Amino acid sequence: MDKDTLRKLELLNQLSLNETQKEHVLAFFQSREQELAVLNTFNTDDVARMVHVMPIMTVVRDDVAAQPFSRDDLQKGAPETNQGYWCVPRVVE
Amino acid sequence: MRYETVIGLEVHVELATQSKIFCSCHAKYGAEPNAHVCPACCGMPGMLPVVNKRVVDFGMKAGMMLNCTINRTTTFDKKSYYYPDLPCAYQTTQWFAPVAVNGLVEIETSKGKKNIRIKQIHMEEDAGKLVHDIGADVTCVDFNRTSVPLIEIVSQPDLSSAEEVEAYLERLKNLLRYAKVAECAMEHGTMRCDVNLSVRPEGSDQLGVRTEMKNMNSIDAIKRAISYEVARHIDAIENGTEVLIQETRRWDDIKGKSYSMRSKETAGDYRYFPDPNIMPVVIDDAWYNAIQASLPEFPEVKRARYISELGLSEYDAAQLTKSIAVCECFEEAYAVCKSAKDAANWLLSEAMSILSSRKMTPDRLSVNGKSLGELIQLVTGGKVGRANGKKILDAMFDDANLNPAEYAEQNGLIVSNDTGLMEQVAKEVLAGEEKAVADFRAGKEKALAAILGKCMKQLKGNCNPQVLREFLISEIGKM
Repeated sequence: MDKDTLRKLELLNQLSLNETQKEHVLAFFQSREQELAVLNTFNTDDVARMVHVMPIMTVVRDDVAAQPFSRDDLQKGAPETNQGYWCVPRVVE
Repeated sequence: MRYETVIGLEVHVELATQSKIFCSCHAKYGAEPNAHVCPACCGMPGMLPVVNKRVVDFGMKAGMMLNCTINRTTTFDKKSYYYPDLPCAYQTTQWFAPVAVNGLVEIETSKGKKNIRIKQIHMEEDAGKLVHDIGADVTCVDFNRTSVPLIEIVSQPDLSSAEEVEAYLERLKNLLRYAKVAECAMEHGTMRCDVNLSVRPEGSDQLGVRTEMKNMNSIDAIKRAISYEVARHIDAIENGTEVLIQETRRWDDIKGKSYSMRSKETAGDYRYFPDPNIMPVVIDDAWYNAIQASLPEFPEVKRARYISELGLSEYDAAQLTKSIAVCECFEEAYAVCKSAKDAANWLLSEAMSILSSRKMTPDRLSVNGKSLGELIQLVTGGKVGRANGKKILDAMFDDANLNPAEYAEQNGLIVSNDTGLMEQVAKEVLAGEEKAVADFRAGKEKALAAILGKCMKQLKGNCNPQVLREFLISEIGKM
Protein backbone atom coordinates (compact mmCIF):
# COMPACT_ATOMS: atom_id res chain seq x y z
CA MET A 1 0.00 0.00 0.00
CA ASP A 2 1.44 3.35 -1.03
CA LYS A 3 0.11 6.89 -0.75
CA ASP A 4 -1.17 6.92 -4.30
CA THR A 5 -3.22 3.74 -3.79
CA LEU A 6 -4.55 5.13 -0.54
CA ARG A 7 -5.62 8.32 -2.33
CA LYS A 8 -7.59 6.22 -4.88
CA LEU A 9 -9.24 4.21 -2.11
CA GLU A 10 -10.26 7.44 -0.41
CA LEU A 11 -11.93 8.61 -3.60
CA LEU A 12 -13.66 5.30 -4.23
CA ASN A 13 -14.99 5.08 -0.69
CA GLN A 14 -15.81 8.77 -0.43
CA LEU A 15 -13.51 9.21 2.57
CA SER A 16 -11.55 12.23 3.68
CA LEU A 17 -8.69 11.17 5.94
CA ASN A 18 -6.40 13.59 7.77
CA GLU A 19 -2.63 13.05 7.75
CA THR A 20 -2.60 11.16 11.05
CA GLN A 21 -5.33 8.82 9.90
CA LYS A 22 -3.51 8.24 6.64
CA GLU A 23 -0.34 7.28 8.50
CA HIS A 24 -2.30 4.83 10.64
CA VAL A 25 -3.97 3.24 7.62
CA LEU A 26 -0.71 2.97 5.71
CA ALA A 27 1.05 1.45 8.69
CA PHE A 28 -1.79 -1.02 9.17
CA PHE A 29 -1.76 -2.22 5.55
CA GLN A 30 2.03 -2.36 5.36
CA SER A 31 2.02 -4.56 8.44
CA ARG A 32 -0.56 -6.88 6.83
CA GLU A 33 1.52 -7.05 3.66
CA GLN A 34 4.50 -8.18 5.71
CA GLU A 35 2.39 -10.90 7.29
CA LEU A 36 1.17 -12.02 3.89
CA ALA A 37 4.72 -12.16 2.61
CA VAL A 38 5.56 -14.57 5.44
CA LEU A 39 2.43 -16.67 4.77
CA ASN A 40 3.32 -16.88 1.09
CA THR A 41 6.60 -18.60 1.91
CA PHE A 42 4.68 -21.74 2.96
CA ASN A 43 4.02 -24.45 0.40
CA THR A 44 0.28 -25.14 0.45
CA ASP A 45 0.08 -27.26 -2.71
CA ASP A 46 -1.16 -30.35 -0.87
CA VAL A 47 -3.34 -28.54 1.64
CA ALA A 48 -7.09 -28.82 1.07
CA ARG A 49 -8.93 -25.56 0.70
CA MET A 50 -10.89 -24.49 3.76
CA VAL A 51 -14.51 -24.33 2.67
CA HIS A 52 -15.89 -22.90 5.87
CA VAL A 53 -14.50 -21.67 9.16
CA MET A 54 -16.74 -24.09 11.07
CA PRO A 55 -17.29 -27.82 10.47
CA ILE A 56 -20.93 -27.42 9.44
CA MET A 57 -22.91 -28.31 6.35
CA THR A 58 -26.07 -27.02 4.75
CA VAL A 59 -29.50 -28.53 5.12
CA VAL A 60 -31.30 -29.41 1.92
CA ARG A 61 -35.01 -29.57 1.19
CA ASP A 62 -37.06 -31.96 -0.95
CA ASP A 63 -38.07 -30.83 -4.42
CA VAL A 64 -41.70 -30.02 -3.65
CA ALA A 65 -43.25 -26.97 -5.25
CA ALA A 66 -45.59 -24.65 -3.36
CA GLN A 67 -46.82 -21.11 -3.71
CA PRO A 68 -47.52 -19.71 -0.25
CA PHE A 69 -47.24 -16.04 -1.24
CA SER A 70 -49.56 -14.04 -3.47
CA ARG A 71 -48.20 -11.62 -6.01
CA ASP A 72 -50.41 -8.83 -4.75
CA ASP A 73 -49.08 -9.17 -1.22
CA LEU A 74 -45.49 -9.18 -2.43
CA GLN A 75 -46.05 -6.10 -4.56
CA LYS A 76 -47.73 -4.04 -1.85
CA GLY A 77 -44.50 -2.19 -1.10
CA ALA A 78 -43.49 -1.73 -4.72
CA PRO A 79 -43.17 1.89 -5.91
CA GLU A 80 -44.66 0.96 -9.29
CA THR A 81 -46.24 -2.12 -10.90
CA ASN A 82 -47.93 -2.71 -14.23
CA GLN A 83 -49.94 -5.78 -15.30
CA GLY A 84 -48.31 -7.88 -12.58
CA TYR A 85 -44.76 -6.73 -13.35
CA TRP A 86 -42.49 -4.79 -11.05
CA CYS A 87 -41.43 -1.60 -12.79
CA VAL A 88 -37.88 -0.24 -12.59
CA PRO A 89 -36.22 2.71 -14.34
CA ARG A 90 -35.79 1.86 -17.99
CA VAL A 91 -32.53 -0.03 -18.61
CA VAL A 92 -32.41 0.18 -22.41
CA GLU A 93 -32.77 3.19 -24.71
CA MET B 1 -1.43 -18.76 -44.09
CA ARG B 2 -3.69 -21.50 -42.78
CA TYR B 3 -5.57 -20.94 -39.52
CA GLU B 4 -7.20 -23.15 -36.96
CA THR B 5 -10.22 -22.31 -34.87
CA VAL B 6 -10.25 -22.75 -31.11
CA ILE B 7 -13.68 -22.98 -29.46
CA GLY B 8 -14.79 -23.51 -25.89
CA LEU B 9 -18.43 -23.68 -24.90
CA GLU B 10 -20.34 -22.69 -21.80
CA VAL B 11 -23.66 -24.51 -21.94
CA HIS B 12 -26.48 -23.55 -19.59
CA VAL B 13 -29.04 -26.27 -19.00
CA GLU B 14 -32.26 -25.80 -17.07
CA LEU B 15 -32.79 -28.70 -14.69
CA ALA B 16 -36.06 -30.63 -14.70
CA THR B 17 -37.07 -29.93 -11.11
CA GLN B 18 -40.48 -29.06 -9.74
CA SER B 19 -39.29 -26.16 -7.63
CA LYS B 20 -36.61 -23.48 -7.77
CA ILE B 21 -33.06 -23.96 -6.53
CA PHE B 22 -33.28 -21.96 -3.27
CA CYS B 23 -37.01 -21.69 -2.56
CA SER B 24 -40.10 -23.82 -3.12
CA CYS B 25 -41.69 -21.68 -5.86
CA HIS B 26 -42.73 -23.54 -9.01
CA ALA B 27 -39.98 -23.80 -11.60
CA LYS B 28 -42.32 -24.27 -14.56
CA TYR B 29 -42.81 -21.75 -17.35
CA GLY B 30 -45.92 -20.24 -18.77
CA ALA B 31 -47.50 -18.60 -15.73
CA GLU B 32 -48.75 -15.04 -15.35
CA PRO B 33 -45.97 -12.53 -14.61
CA ASN B 34 -44.66 -12.94 -11.06
CA ALA B 35 -47.10 -15.72 -10.21
CA HIS B 36 -44.23 -17.99 -9.12
CA VAL B 37 -42.38 -15.76 -6.72
CA CYS B 38 -41.76 -15.44 -2.99
CA PRO B 39 -39.71 -13.14 -0.76
CA ALA B 40 -36.63 -15.34 -1.27
CA CYS B 41 -36.51 -15.29 -5.08
CA CYS B 42 -37.59 -11.63 -5.09
CA GLY B 43 -34.51 -10.81 -3.05
CA MET B 44 -36.37 -9.29 -0.14
CA PRO B 45 -34.19 -8.47 2.88
CA GLY B 46 -33.77 -11.14 5.51
CA MET B 47 -34.78 -14.10 3.34
CA LEU B 48 -32.42 -17.05 3.33
CA PRO B 49 -31.92 -19.63 0.58
CA VAL B 50 -32.50 -23.35 1.25
CA VAL B 51 -30.89 -25.69 -1.28
CA ASN B 52 -33.15 -28.00 -3.31
CA LYS B 53 -31.69 -31.51 -2.88
CA ARG B 54 -32.76 -32.61 -6.36
CA VAL B 55 -30.65 -29.85 -7.91
CA VAL B 56 -27.58 -31.33 -6.25
CA ASP B 57 -28.73 -34.83 -7.30
CA PHE B 58 -28.99 -33.65 -10.90
CA GLY B 59 -25.69 -31.76 -10.75
CA MET B 60 -23.95 -34.93 -9.57
CA LYS B 61 -25.77 -37.08 -12.10
CA ALA B 62 -24.80 -34.76 -14.96
CA GLY B 63 -21.22 -34.86 -13.70
CA MET B 64 -21.18 -38.64 -13.62
CA MET B 65 -22.69 -38.84 -17.13
CA LEU B 66 -19.86 -36.60 -18.37
CA ASN B 67 -17.13 -38.60 -16.60
CA CYS B 68 -16.40 -35.85 -14.10
CA THR B 69 -14.95 -36.04 -10.61
CA ILE B 70 -17.61 -35.07 -8.09
CA ASN B 71 -16.55 -32.57 -5.43
CA ARG B 72 -17.76 -34.25 -2.25
CA THR B 73 -17.83 -30.84 -0.56
CA THR B 74 -19.31 -28.30 -2.90
CA THR B 75 -20.03 -24.67 -2.09
CA PHE B 76 -22.05 -21.76 -3.41
CA ASP B 77 -20.67 -18.30 -4.10
CA LYS B 78 -22.01 -14.86 -4.93
CA LYS B 79 -21.26 -13.35 -8.33
CA SER B 80 -21.75 -9.59 -8.35
CA TYR B 81 -24.15 -8.70 -11.11
CA TYR B 82 -26.00 -5.43 -11.01
CA TYR B 83 -29.02 -5.62 -13.30
CA PRO B 84 -32.74 -5.65 -12.48
CA ASP B 85 -33.34 -9.23 -13.64
CA LEU B 86 -31.55 -10.44 -10.49
CA PRO B 87 -33.08 -8.66 -7.49
CA CYS B 88 -30.24 -9.43 -5.07
CA ALA B 89 -27.70 -7.68 -7.35
CA TYR B 90 -25.70 -10.91 -7.33
CA GLN B 91 -26.19 -14.37 -8.79
CA THR B 92 -25.79 -17.34 -6.50
CA THR B 93 -23.52 -19.70 -8.39
CA GLN B 94 -20.46 -21.88 -7.79
CA TRP B 95 -16.95 -20.63 -8.31
CA PHE B 96 -14.54 -22.06 -5.75
CA ALA B 97 -15.84 -25.65 -5.45
CA PRO B 98 -18.25 -26.55 -8.27
CA VAL B 99 -20.17 -29.80 -8.01
CA ALA B 100 -18.23 -31.58 -10.78
CA VAL B 101 -14.82 -31.07 -12.41
CA ASN B 102 -12.44 -32.59 -14.96
CA GLY B 103 -14.81 -34.55 -17.19
CA LEU B 104 -14.55 -35.97 -20.68
CA VAL B 105 -17.07 -36.29 -23.51
CA GLU B 106 -16.43 -38.31 -26.64
CA ILE B 107 -17.86 -36.91 -29.86
CA GLU B 108 -17.94 -38.34 -33.37
CA THR B 109 -17.77 -36.31 -36.59
CA SER B 110 -16.93 -37.03 -40.22
CA LYS B 111 -13.27 -36.86 -39.15
CA GLY B 112 -13.69 -39.57 -36.52
CA LYS B 113 -13.86 -39.65 -32.75
CA LYS B 114 -12.48 -36.96 -30.45
CA ASN B 115 -12.46 -36.34 -26.69
CA ILE B 116 -13.62 -32.97 -25.39
CA ARG B 117 -12.49 -32.13 -21.87
CA ILE B 118 -15.00 -30.70 -19.42
CA LYS B 119 -13.51 -28.12 -17.09
CA GLN B 120 -16.40 -28.05 -14.65
CA ILE B 121 -20.13 -28.25 -14.07
CA HIS B 122 -21.57 -25.77 -11.61
CA MET B 123 -25.06 -25.23 -10.24
CA GLU B 124 -26.58 -21.77 -10.28
CA GLU B 125 -29.80 -19.79 -10.43
CA ASP B 126 -31.31 -18.35 -13.58
CA ALA B 127 -32.11 -14.64 -13.94
CA GLY B 128 -35.56 -13.09 -14.38
CA LYS B 129 -37.09 -11.70 -17.52
CA LEU B 130 -37.14 -8.03 -18.52
CA VAL B 131 -39.88 -6.58 -20.72
CA HIS B 132 -39.19 -3.19 -22.29
CA ASP B 133 -42.30 -2.51 -24.35
CA ILE B 134 -45.09 -2.16 -21.78
CA GLY B 135 -44.41 1.22 -20.19
CA ALA B 136 -42.73 4.15 -21.92
CA ASP B 137 -40.22 5.08 -19.23
CA VAL B 138 -39.90 1.85 -17.34
CA THR B 139 -38.61 -1.68 -17.70
CA CYS B 140 -40.98 -4.35 -16.43
CA VAL B 141 -39.57 -7.26 -14.44
CA ASP B 142 -40.92 -10.80 -14.16
CA PHE B 143 -39.18 -12.88 -11.48
CA ASN B 144 -40.86 -16.20 -12.37
CA ARG B 145 -37.63 -17.46 -13.91
CA THR B 146 -35.39 -16.04 -11.18
CA SER B 147 -33.81 -18.88 -9.20
CA VAL B 148 -34.92 -21.57 -11.62
CA PRO B 149 -32.08 -24.12 -11.33
CA LEU B 150 -29.41 -24.35 -14.00
CA ILE B 151 -26.19 -26.21 -14.48
CA GLU B 152 -23.46 -24.61 -16.53
CA ILE B 153 -21.19 -27.06 -18.34
CA VAL B 154 -17.86 -25.44 -19.16
CA SER B 155 -15.69 -27.16 -21.75
CA GLN B 156 -12.00 -26.70 -22.31
CA PRO B 157 -11.17 -25.02 -25.66
CA ASP B 158 -10.93 -28.39 -27.43
CA LEU B 159 -13.43 -27.80 -30.23
CA SER B 160 -12.21 -26.66 -33.61
CA SER B 161 -15.17 -26.48 -36.01
CA ALA B 162 -18.90 -25.90 -36.24
CA GLU B 163 -19.32 -29.62 -36.97
CA GLU B 164 -17.58 -30.54 -33.72
CA VAL B 165 -19.67 -28.00 -31.80
CA GLU B 166 -22.85 -29.56 -33.20
CA ALA B 167 -21.67 -33.07 -32.33
CA TYR B 168 -20.73 -31.93 -28.82
CA LEU B 169 -24.08 -30.24 -28.17
CA GLU B 170 -26.00 -33.24 -29.51
CA ARG B 171 -23.93 -35.52 -27.30
CA LEU B 172 -24.61 -33.37 -24.22
CA LYS B 173 -28.33 -33.31 -25.01
CA ASN B 174 -28.42 -37.07 -25.45
CA LEU B 175 -26.56 -37.85 -22.23
CA LEU B 176 -28.53 -35.39 -20.09
CA ARG B 177 -31.84 -36.61 -21.49
CA TYR B 178 -30.83 -40.22 -20.82
CA ALA B 179 -30.17 -39.23 -17.21
CA LYS B 180 -33.51 -37.35 -17.16
CA VAL B 181 -31.92 -34.33 -15.54
CA ALA B 182 -33.03 -31.87 -18.22
CA GLU B 183 -35.19 -31.37 -21.26
CA CYS B 184 -32.34 -29.69 -23.16
CA ALA B 185 -34.65 -28.10 -25.75
CA MET B 186 -32.79 -25.19 -27.30
CA GLU B 187 -36.00 -24.06 -29.00
CA HIS B 188 -37.63 -23.68 -25.57
CA GLY B 189 -34.61 -21.94 -24.06
CA THR B 190 -33.92 -24.82 -21.66
CA MET B 191 -30.46 -25.19 -23.19
CA ARG B 192 -28.43 -22.10 -24.08
CA CYS B 193 -24.89 -21.76 -25.18
CA ASP B 194 -22.09 -19.19 -24.95
CA VAL B 195 -19.47 -19.66 -27.67
CA ASN B 196 -15.89 -18.59 -26.89
CA LEU B 197 -13.88 -18.45 -30.11
CA SER B 198 -10.44 -17.47 -31.33
CA VAL B 199 -8.28 -18.31 -34.33
CA ARG B 200 -4.54 -18.85 -34.58
CA PRO B 201 -2.01 -19.91 -37.21
CA GLU B 202 -2.18 -23.66 -37.72
CA GLY B 203 0.26 -25.44 -35.42
CA SER B 204 0.70 -22.48 -33.07
CA ASP B 205 0.40 -23.11 -29.33
CA GLN B 206 -0.53 -19.49 -28.58
CA LEU B 207 -4.23 -18.67 -28.31
CA GLY B 208 -5.57 -15.74 -30.34
CA VAL B 209 -7.84 -12.95 -29.12
CA ARG B 210 -11.01 -14.55 -27.77
CA THR B 211 -14.53 -13.28 -28.31
CA GLU B 212 -17.65 -14.61 -26.67
CA MET B 213 -21.13 -14.84 -28.18
CA LYS B 214 -23.77 -15.24 -25.51
CA ASN B 215 -27.13 -16.99 -25.18
CA MET B 216 -27.20 -18.85 -28.48
CA ASN B 217 -30.25 -21.11 -28.58
CA SER B 218 -30.16 -22.86 -31.96
CA ILE B 219 -27.51 -25.20 -33.30
CA ASP B 220 -27.98 -23.84 -36.83
CA ALA B 221 -27.54 -20.27 -35.58
CA ILE B 222 -24.44 -21.33 -33.64
CA LYS B 223 -22.96 -22.85 -36.81
CA ARG B 224 -23.67 -19.68 -38.81
CA ALA B 225 -22.24 -17.50 -36.03
CA ILE B 226 -19.05 -19.57 -35.86
CA SER B 227 -18.54 -19.30 -39.64
CA TYR B 228 -19.03 -15.54 -39.48
CA GLU B 229 -16.73 -15.03 -36.51
CA VAL B 230 -13.94 -17.19 -37.94
CA ALA B 231 -14.04 -15.16 -41.17
CA ARG B 232 -14.10 -11.88 -39.21
CA HIS B 233 -11.11 -12.89 -37.08
CA ILE B 234 -9.05 -14.04 -40.07
CA ASP B 235 -9.93 -10.88 -41.99
CA ALA B 236 -8.83 -8.76 -39.03
CA ILE B 237 -5.55 -10.66 -38.69
CA GLU B 238 -4.67 -10.74 -42.39
CA ASN B 239 -6.06 -7.44 -43.64
CA GLY B 240 -6.18 -5.34 -40.50
CA THR B 241 -9.86 -4.56 -41.07
CA GLU B 242 -10.30 -4.08 -37.32
CA VAL B 243 -8.45 -4.53 -34.05
CA LEU B 244 -9.64 -7.67 -32.29
CA ILE B 245 -10.31 -7.22 -28.60
CA GLN B 246 -11.52 -9.59 -25.92
CA GLU B 247 -15.21 -8.81 -25.80
CA THR B 248 -18.74 -10.15 -25.57
CA ARG B 249 -20.69 -10.06 -28.83
CA ARG B 250 -24.32 -10.50 -29.77
CA TRP B 251 -25.24 -12.65 -32.77
CA ASP B 252 -28.04 -11.30 -35.00
CA ASP B 253 -29.20 -14.36 -36.90
CA ILE B 254 -31.49 -12.39 -39.22
CA LYS B 255 -28.74 -10.04 -40.38
CA GLY B 256 -26.12 -12.80 -40.18
CA LYS B 257 -23.73 -10.57 -38.24
CA SER B 258 -22.27 -10.29 -34.76
CA TYR B 259 -22.15 -7.00 -32.88
CA SER B 260 -20.02 -5.85 -29.98
CA MET B 261 -21.96 -5.74 -26.69
CA ARG B 262 -19.31 -4.92 -24.12
CA SER B 263 -15.70 -5.59 -23.26
CA LYS B 264 -15.39 -9.01 -21.69
CA GLU B 265 -15.63 -9.20 -17.94
CA THR B 266 -13.03 -11.26 -16.16
CA ALA B 267 -13.50 -13.25 -12.97
CA GLY B 268 -12.16 -10.29 -10.98
CA ASP B 269 -14.94 -8.04 -12.28
CA TYR B 270 -17.55 -10.35 -10.79
CA ARG B 271 -15.98 -10.21 -7.31
CA TYR B 272 -16.87 -13.78 -6.46
CA PHE B 273 -17.01 -14.54 -2.77
CA PRO B 274 -18.37 -17.46 -0.73
CA ASP B 275 -22.08 -17.12 -0.01
CA PRO B 276 -22.29 -16.82 3.78
CA ASN B 277 -26.00 -17.77 3.67
CA ILE B 278 -25.42 -21.27 2.33
CA MET B 279 -23.25 -23.67 4.26
CA PRO B 280 -21.12 -26.19 2.34
CA VAL B 281 -23.03 -29.06 0.70
CA VAL B 282 -21.34 -32.25 1.90
CA ILE B 283 -22.04 -35.33 -0.22
CA ASP B 284 -21.58 -38.41 1.94
CA ASP B 285 -20.99 -41.94 0.63
CA ALA B 286 -24.66 -42.94 0.87
CA TRP B 287 -25.79 -39.94 -1.19
CA TYR B 288 -23.00 -40.41 -3.76
CA ASN B 289 -23.66 -44.15 -4.12
CA ALA B 290 -27.42 -43.62 -4.48
CA ILE B 291 -26.87 -41.24 -7.39
CA GLN B 292 -24.35 -43.55 -8.99
CA ALA B 293 -26.80 -46.45 -8.71
CA SER B 294 -29.49 -44.38 -10.42
CA LEU B 295 -27.45 -43.72 -13.57
CA PRO B 296 -29.08 -45.00 -16.75
CA GLU B 297 -27.62 -47.46 -19.23
CA PHE B 298 -25.37 -45.32 -21.45
CA PRO B 299 -26.34 -44.98 -25.14
CA GLU B 300 -23.32 -46.99 -26.36
CA VAL B 301 -24.01 -49.83 -23.93
CA LYS B 302 -27.66 -49.89 -24.94
CA ARG B 303 -26.73 -49.87 -28.62
CA ALA B 304 -24.34 -52.81 -28.16
CA ARG B 305 -26.99 -54.72 -26.23
CA TYR B 306 -29.61 -54.16 -28.92
CA ILE B 307 -27.21 -55.64 -31.46
CA SER B 308 -25.88 -58.58 -29.42
CA GLU B 309 -28.97 -59.56 -27.44
CA LEU B 310 -31.87 -58.49 -29.66
CA GLY B 311 -30.27 -59.09 -33.04
CA LEU B 312 -30.90 -55.61 -34.41
CA SER B 313 -28.73 -54.21 -37.18
CA GLU B 314 -26.08 -51.67 -36.27
CA TYR B 315 -28.06 -49.02 -38.16
CA ASP B 316 -31.35 -49.70 -36.36
CA ALA B 317 -29.63 -49.82 -32.96
CA ALA B 318 -27.86 -46.52 -33.66
CA GLN B 319 -31.07 -44.82 -34.77
CA LEU B 320 -33.08 -46.04 -31.78
CA THR B 321 -30.48 -45.01 -29.20
CA LYS B 322 -30.33 -41.42 -30.44
CA SER B 323 -33.26 -40.68 -28.17
CA ILE B 324 -34.10 -42.09 -24.75
CA ALA B 325 -37.83 -41.53 -25.45
CA VAL B 326 -37.59 -43.79 -28.51
CA CYS B 327 -35.55 -46.38 -26.60
CA GLU B 328 -38.10 -46.55 -23.81
CA CYS B 329 -40.98 -46.92 -26.27
CA PHE B 330 -39.05 -49.60 -28.16
CA GLU B 331 -38.29 -51.63 -25.03
CA GLU B 332 -41.91 -51.49 -23.84
CA ALA B 333 -43.21 -52.48 -27.27
CA TYR B 334 -40.68 -55.32 -27.54
CA ALA B 335 -41.70 -56.64 -24.12
CA VAL B 336 -45.24 -57.09 -25.49
CA CYS B 337 -44.77 -58.10 -29.14
CA LYS B 338 -41.54 -60.10 -28.56
CA SER B 339 -40.16 -59.06 -31.94
CA ALA B 340 -37.33 -56.54 -31.73
CA LYS B 341 -37.20 -56.19 -35.51
CA ASP B 342 -40.92 -55.41 -35.79
CA ALA B 343 -40.79 -52.96 -32.90
CA ALA B 344 -37.76 -51.22 -34.41
CA ASN B 345 -39.38 -51.10 -37.86
CA TRP B 346 -42.61 -49.60 -36.57
CA LEU B 347 -40.73 -46.95 -34.62
CA LEU B 348 -38.10 -46.07 -37.20
CA SER B 349 -40.41 -45.99 -40.20
CA GLU B 350 -44.05 -45.41 -39.22
CA ALA B 351 -43.58 -43.50 -35.94
CA MET B 352 -40.76 -41.34 -37.35
CA SER B 353 -42.88 -40.55 -40.39
CA ILE B 354 -45.75 -39.38 -38.16
CA LEU B 355 -43.34 -37.37 -35.99
CA SER B 356 -41.96 -35.71 -39.09
CA SER B 357 -45.42 -34.84 -40.43
CA ARG B 358 -46.26 -33.30 -37.07
CA LYS B 359 -42.96 -31.39 -37.02
CA MET B 360 -41.96 -33.10 -33.79
CA THR B 361 -38.53 -34.35 -32.76
CA PRO B 362 -38.08 -37.98 -31.56
CA ASP B 363 -37.71 -36.75 -27.99
CA ARG B 364 -41.35 -35.64 -28.13
CA LEU B 365 -42.49 -39.21 -28.83
CA SER B 366 -45.43 -39.75 -26.50
CA VAL B 367 -46.73 -43.08 -27.76
CA ASN B 368 -47.32 -45.69 -25.09
CA GLY B 369 -44.82 -48.48 -25.82
CA LYS B 370 -47.07 -51.20 -24.43
CA SER B 371 -49.88 -50.08 -26.76
CA LEU B 372 -47.47 -50.03 -29.68
CA GLY B 373 -46.55 -53.63 -28.86
CA GLU B 374 -50.23 -54.57 -28.88
CA LEU B 375 -50.71 -52.81 -32.22
CA ILE B 376 -47.77 -54.72 -33.71
CA GLN B 377 -49.34 -57.97 -32.48
CA LEU B 378 -52.63 -57.03 -34.18
CA VAL B 379 -50.85 -56.39 -37.48
CA THR B 380 -48.52 -59.37 -37.45
CA GLY B 381 -51.43 -61.57 -36.36
CA GLY B 382 -53.40 -60.49 -39.43
CA LYS B 383 -56.18 -58.84 -37.43
CA VAL B 384 -55.39 -55.35 -38.73
CA GLY B 385 -53.87 -54.43 -42.09
CA ARG B 386 -50.60 -52.49 -42.06
CA ALA B 387 -52.19 -49.39 -43.61
CA ASN B 388 -54.88 -49.36 -40.94
CA GLY B 389 -52.20 -50.05 -38.35
CA LYS B 390 -50.60 -46.75 -39.36
CA LYS B 391 -53.93 -44.99 -38.87
CA ILE B 392 -54.21 -46.45 -35.38
CA LEU B 393 -50.63 -45.39 -34.58
CA ASP B 394 -51.44 -41.87 -35.71
CA ALA B 395 -54.38 -41.83 -33.30
CA MET B 396 -52.08 -43.11 -30.54
CA PHE B 397 -50.02 -39.92 -30.90
CA ASP B 398 -53.08 -37.94 -29.82
CA ASP B 399 -54.14 -40.28 -27.02
CA ALA B 400 -51.44 -42.03 -25.00
CA ASN B 401 -54.07 -44.24 -23.34
CA LEU B 402 -55.62 -45.44 -26.59
CA ASN B 403 -56.25 -49.18 -26.71
CA PRO B 404 -55.40 -50.25 -30.28
CA ALA B 405 -57.73 -53.28 -30.36
CA GLU B 406 -60.72 -51.29 -29.09
CA TYR B 407 -59.95 -48.43 -31.46
CA ALA B 408 -59.71 -50.82 -34.43
CA GLU B 409 -63.02 -52.43 -33.47
CA GLN B 410 -64.82 -49.11 -32.97
CA ASN B 411 -63.55 -47.67 -36.25
CA GLY B 412 -64.09 -50.71 -38.46
CA LEU B 413 -60.40 -51.38 -38.95
CA ILE B 414 -60.43 -55.08 -38.11
CA VAL B 415 -59.64 -57.39 -41.03
CA SER B 416 -62.90 -58.90 -42.24
CA ASN B 417 -63.36 -62.68 -42.31
CA ASP B 418 -66.14 -62.21 -44.88
CA THR B 419 -64.60 -64.10 -47.83
CA GLY B 420 -67.80 -63.61 -49.82
CA LEU B 421 -67.31 -59.84 -49.85
CA MET B 422 -63.63 -60.25 -50.74
CA GLU B 423 -64.46 -62.56 -53.66
CA GLN B 424 -67.17 -60.22 -54.93
CA VAL B 425 -64.86 -57.18 -54.84
CA ALA B 426 -61.98 -59.12 -56.41
CA LYS B 427 -64.14 -60.30 -59.33
CA GLU B 428 -65.50 -56.80 -59.97
CA VAL B 429 -61.99 -55.29 -60.00
CA LEU B 430 -60.62 -58.04 -62.27
CA ALA B 431 -63.47 -57.47 -64.73
CA GLY B 432 -62.36 -53.86 -65.21
CA GLU B 433 -58.64 -54.51 -65.35
CA GLU B 434 -58.20 -56.52 -68.55
CA LYS B 435 -54.86 -54.88 -69.39
CA ALA B 436 -53.43 -55.43 -65.92
CA VAL B 437 -54.53 -59.07 -66.03
CA ALA B 438 -52.85 -59.49 -69.42
CA ASP B 439 -49.68 -57.81 -68.11
CA PHE B 440 -49.57 -60.12 -65.12
CA ARG B 441 -50.01 -63.14 -67.36
CA ALA B 442 -47.11 -61.79 -69.43
CA GLY B 443 -44.92 -61.86 -66.29
CA LYS B 444 -45.31 -58.35 -64.90
CA GLU B 445 -45.61 -58.87 -61.13
CA LYS B 446 -46.31 -55.17 -60.58
CA ALA B 447 -49.60 -55.50 -62.45
CA LEU B 448 -50.89 -57.82 -59.73
CA ALA B 449 -49.85 -55.33 -57.06
CA ALA B 450 -51.96 -52.67 -58.79
CA ILE B 451 -55.01 -54.95 -58.84
CA LEU B 452 -54.39 -55.91 -55.22
CA GLY B 453 -54.20 -52.23 -54.27
CA LYS B 454 -57.52 -51.43 -55.92
CA CYS B 455 -59.21 -54.35 -54.12
CA MET B 456 -57.74 -53.28 -50.77
CA LYS B 457 -58.94 -49.75 -51.35
CA GLN B 458 -62.49 -50.93 -51.96
CA LEU B 459 -62.30 -53.20 -48.92
CA LYS B 460 -60.92 -50.24 -46.87
CA GLY B 461 -57.91 -52.32 -45.95
CA ASN B 462 -59.98 -54.79 -43.96
CA CYS B 463 -58.74 -57.86 -45.71
CA ASN B 464 -55.83 -60.22 -45.27
CA PRO B 465 -53.61 -59.23 -48.24
CA GLN B 466 -52.05 -62.70 -48.50
CA VAL B 467 -55.43 -64.42 -48.75
CA LEU B 468 -56.60 -61.83 -51.29
CA ARG B 469 -53.45 -62.24 -53.36
CA GLU B 470 -53.84 -65.99 -53.55
CA PHE B 471 -57.50 -65.60 -54.52
CA LEU B 472 -56.63 -63.11 -57.29
CA ILE B 473 -53.98 -65.43 -58.75
CA SER B 474 -56.45 -68.30 -58.67
CA GLU B 475 -59.13 -66.22 -60.40
CA ILE B 476 -56.74 -64.94 -63.08
CA GLY B 477 -55.81 -68.56 -63.72
CA LYS B 478 -59.46 -69.36 -64.42
CA MET B 479 -59.98 -66.38 -66.77
